[in-house]
Amino acid sequence: MNRLISAEATRLLSSRLWLGALIGALVCGGALIGGLTLLGPENFDPPMPGLDTEEGVRGLLGMLSFTVFVPAALGTLAVTSEYRHRTISFTFLFEPRRWRVLVAKLITFAVAGLCYGAIVAGTAGAALYGGAAARDITLGLPGATVAELLVRVALAMAAFMVIGVGFGALIRNQIAALAAVVGYLYMVELVLLAVPGINAAYPYLPGGATASLTGFTYLADAIAEQTSGSSSTLLSAPLGALVLAGYAIVAAALAVAVPLRRDVT
Amino acid sequence: MSGDGGGVRVEVRDLTKRFGSVTAVNGLSFTVEPGVVTGFLGPNGAGKTTTMRMILGLVTPTSGTATIGGRPYADLPHPSRTVGAVLDSSSFHPGHVARDHLAVYCRMGGYPLDRVDEVIHQLGIGEFADRRTRGFSTGMRQRLNLATALLGDARVLLLDEPSNGLDPEGIAWLRSFLKGLADQGRTVLVSSHVLSEVEQVVDEVVVVRRGELVASGTMAELSSAATAAVVVRSPDDERLAETLRAESVQGTRATSVERLEAGTIRVEGLTTAQIADLAADHRLRVHELTPERSTLEQVFLRLTSDPRESVR
Repeated sequence: MNRLISAEATRLLSSRLWLGALIGALVCGGALIGGLTLLGPENFDPPMPGLDTEEGVRGLLGMLSFTVFVPAALGTLAVTSEYRHRTISFTFLFEPRRWRVLVAKLITFAVAGLCYGAIVAGTAGAALYGGAAARDITLGLPGATVAELLVRVALAMAAFMVIGVGFGALIRNQIAALAAVVGYLYMVELVLLAVPGINAAYPYLPGGATASLTGFTYLADAIAEQTSGSSSTLLSAPLGALVLAGYAIVAAALAVAVPLRRDVT
Repeated sequence: MSGDGGGVRVEVRDLTKRFGSVTAVNGLSFTVEPGVVTGFLGPNGAGKTTTMRMILGLVTPTSGTATIGGRPYADLPHPSRTVGAVLDSSSFHPGHVARDHLAVYCRMGGYPLDRVDEVIHQLGIGEFADRRTRGFSTGMRQRLNLATALLGDARVLLLDEPSNGLDPEGIAWLRSFLKGLADQGRTVLVSSHVLSEVEQVVDEVVVVRRGELVASGTMAELSSAATAAVVVRSPDDERLAETLRAESVQGTRATSVERLEAGTIRVEGLTTAQIADLAADHRLRVHELTPERSTLEQVFLRLTSDPRESVR
């Protein structure tokens, strides 16, 4: 397995995908949070609580969870590009036990996802404190809590990169896989939330699990409001992480069961 | 796993593959021996690629088996150390430089990274080893494909249309390269839809048409099937044709007699002397006897042309 992981790491680091990922992480982390901090949530339209309040800081950092589609897309691309560029033939020749290739990719991209998440969280944290200092604001949340929230964001980023790998292996076609992963996050889940009954399952949907992992619950609160009282309580953060990992594992298991067995013609 | 002197034999037995209602390969059996280059010949769509992919476990056969040294590909203890294969004309990430592409598979096979430089040297691709593959010419791609296949120093090489798109110089290089590999005792199977591109390098041939075996054996055997024909011009062509069909000369009989046009007959299986003698015995006039030497290419075309199509 080590040789497969080292091969996947080499594959990732020798294309420019990692450079794109790095830029993505800087934009989605430091640049996003730095910009919003300087702008100030109280100046948003509609205005949000200022950074000197707890809700203000939580809300601002919550913006980070809207960018999980970036690591999800990167993970998806990592697998589907093998089919698109036909390197999959060589890959399966060098390792005919195809599930091992997928496991190596899942492990490699879990690590890559953690690096991505660490950069997002690290630069976001630096930008938050830098911006607050520049505006002479004392943050309404203690440093330890901010750090914990950022670690949870980083874990969510890693989970979505692994989910991307699982769905990429499942769907194989690059465009279809990207459309499915990104489209789900931004459209399908929101539509599902409007369906009575299904929204009760929200804590277990990727969005709900992400909310419980990252601790940003605006969407969950909004649903609870709409469904007037039948508030579906979110899972605990570790359970949310487990549910997200579960999606990645289910997608990967389905990929091993069906598409990976298909003929490579 | 080793056969004669470390050679590894590839055996295909009753291999059949159906894609929906289309039968791509039908009951195909043949053996690829070590130490020689075997040509896997047939027109496009004859099932060559599907067969090679079945040997390599990329495509699952509908029925039948393909083994390498007695084992299915997926059961080999060291697949890439046993078999090197090239299946697609281009299978590289366009953003990778050649050296990185090789490094990925070098690691995947568990080989020391020195192998990358060795195959780069072996294939003479040092010049473009540090360029991104997106700009590669066909010849460069074929060489990088071969370099990837050779990373494991495998005893068996399966190459699907490696001469496709190569210029004459490239083809000449490929010939001597393959010959060298076979001389080292390796098992080399090379598919092609153009006999002339591999004619000078292959020792054995397996010819397929519409997924079925039509001929196999040594190149010499295939050549001997190159039956000589004689074109006869005669004003008594009708009667001569009847006579040639009916009579035997010294125990031999024409295997084929066809009237090409008024006054011309094409005869297979008899020499010019035998035809002239027979005509004299029956007092039939012969104005011209022309031996027609069919080339190997014509034999190949005859073997692989679809009888249903040639009726048109």
